[in-house]
Amino acid sequence: MKIKFILNKNEVEIDANPMTRLIDVLREHFQLLGTKEGCGEGECGACTILLNDKPVASCIANLIHAENGVILTAEGIAKTKIGTLLIDCFDETNAVQCGFCFPGFLVSSYHYLKTDGEPNLEKIKIALSGNICRCTGYQKIFDSVLMACEKLDLS
Amino acid sequence: MIFYRPNNLKNLFELLENSNATNYFLAGGTDINLQTKNIPKNVNIFYISHLNVLRNITEINGHISIGSTATFSDILHSDYLAKHLPFFQNSLKFFASPIIQNLATIGGNIVNGSPTNDVSPLLLILDAKLELISKNNSRIIPFNSFYRGYKEFDLQKNELVKAILIPKNAENNLETFYQKVGARNSLTISKITVAGLKFIENNRIKKIKIAVGSVNEYPRRLVNLENYLITKRINEIKKDELTKIIAVEITPISDFRSDQNYRFVVCLNLIEKFLGINF
Ligand SMILES: Cc1cc2nc3c(=O)[nH]c(=O)nc-3n(C[C@@H](O)[C@@H](O)[C@H](O)COP(=O)(O)OP(=O)(O)OC[C@H]3O[C@@H](n4cnc5c(N)ncnc54)[C@H](O)[C@@H]3O)c2cc1C
Ligand code: FES
Ligand code: FES
Repeated sequence: MKIKFILNKNEVEIDANPMTRLIDVLREHFQLLGTKEGCGEGECGACTILLNDKPVASCIANLIHAENGVILTAEGIAKTKIGTLLIDCFDETNAVQCGFCFPGFLVSSYHYLKTDGEPNLEKIKIALSGNICRCTGYQKIFDSVLMACEKLDLS
Repeated sequence: MIFYRPNNLKNLFELLENSNATNYFLAGGTDINLQTKNIPKNVNIFYISHLNVLRNITEINGHISIGSTATFSDILHSDYLAKHLPFFQNSLKFFASPIIQNLATIGGNIVNGSPTNDVSPLLLILDAKLELISKNNSRIIPFNSFYRGYKEFDLQKNELVKAILIPKNAENNLETFYQKVGARNSLTISKITVAGLKFIENNRIKKIKIAVGSVNEYPRRLVNLENYLITKRINEIKKDELTKIIAVEITPISDFRSDQNYRFVVCLNLIEKFLGINF
């Protein structure tokens, strides 16, 4: 089945089984390797992407869910103003260790900054509650997002 | 496997009728995509998430109708539900995580029918109904009679859950209780869920509804317990009587998440907490 959608601001079309997992479409067909597969069961958030402006686990969504929709992956977000701001804040607080979980955290944090952006720890924790990090203990990740909220507020 | 993307409901039922394999609906896919390993090869999949008629949250005849393909984030962000069913809406905040809430639908949750699902205990105490449709028929059944056993439902072949109906005043003037107990705060899978509604006047129980999840083969109301409690004064409730009744009404299992005894004790504690008693 031919399915069209917008991927990181470009119109794309793919002819594939509509049940193909979105993560496989992104990684294998479009070579967008920023989207990671951790658990493959919706639990870790490493595969988080924005589908129609909402963060979803791409390992349990299907290609058909993207039909006529808009996808933004970590690669697309990294090119935006808020994306760059977040990456700088992750850097500044030394939040990243092995890095495997970060594309997912970037997507969820970007969504939080876009839709709310209040420097409120409890809200940030909820926004990031689908993302698991095995290395850092989360504190520095929360600090970075708080910092990004404050910087965005000033700009 | 053949995949169908119907153009509308009429088209869906025509396609279903001509299909001679096992039919699955694909809504958010958060259950199906984890089960595909076990799904037989000769199934037909009917996509329904794009059918907007199934997704609306509206008011019909004194009921709030939540379309079956409304996602949990549609529910959590609905101003309408915030106004009329705030308890229902708030209770679902602990459903999975945002990246699942944006995909998972309420209809899929009900029909997947996991004994641990978050929604059923709420629908049970709120006297919800289900609107079911098939090619030539449409019927409304009490949610209370939908589950018949472990993953057994009152749902015919090729019948679709169209909407969930909740009486608009279901929460009015009642004390509400919902607690889901799990291993962590984020992405909690329920070990026990207790939902309750009560109305107490002059220390006497005038109205009471209690439903539990994860401790029976399907979520259900504790009818014997409700019958025992109704019209009692709080201080007339006896610990041994309460324990005895609950012991008959729930049949917790031991699994990798917790053992039977733990589930029983926590369930009892939650019910005592809901009733506001301290033995
Ligand atoms: C990481 C993770 C965490 C989760 N956490 C929770 C949790 O905290 N609480 C909880 O309750 N659940 C939880 N779940 C399960 C939950 O996501 C699903 O039960 C979800 O609600 C199913 O909806 P869906 O749209 O994804 O269904 P699908 O996977 O698309 O479909 C599920 C089943 O329902 C049938 N179906 C779907 N829609 C209809 C309809 N309208 N009429 C008739 N049949 C239909 C399909 O044929 C299929 O058999 C979790 C799942 C994951 C992956
Ligand atoms: S890989 Fe998708 S949530 Fe873990
Ligand atoms: S930095 Fe290693 S998993 Fe998060």
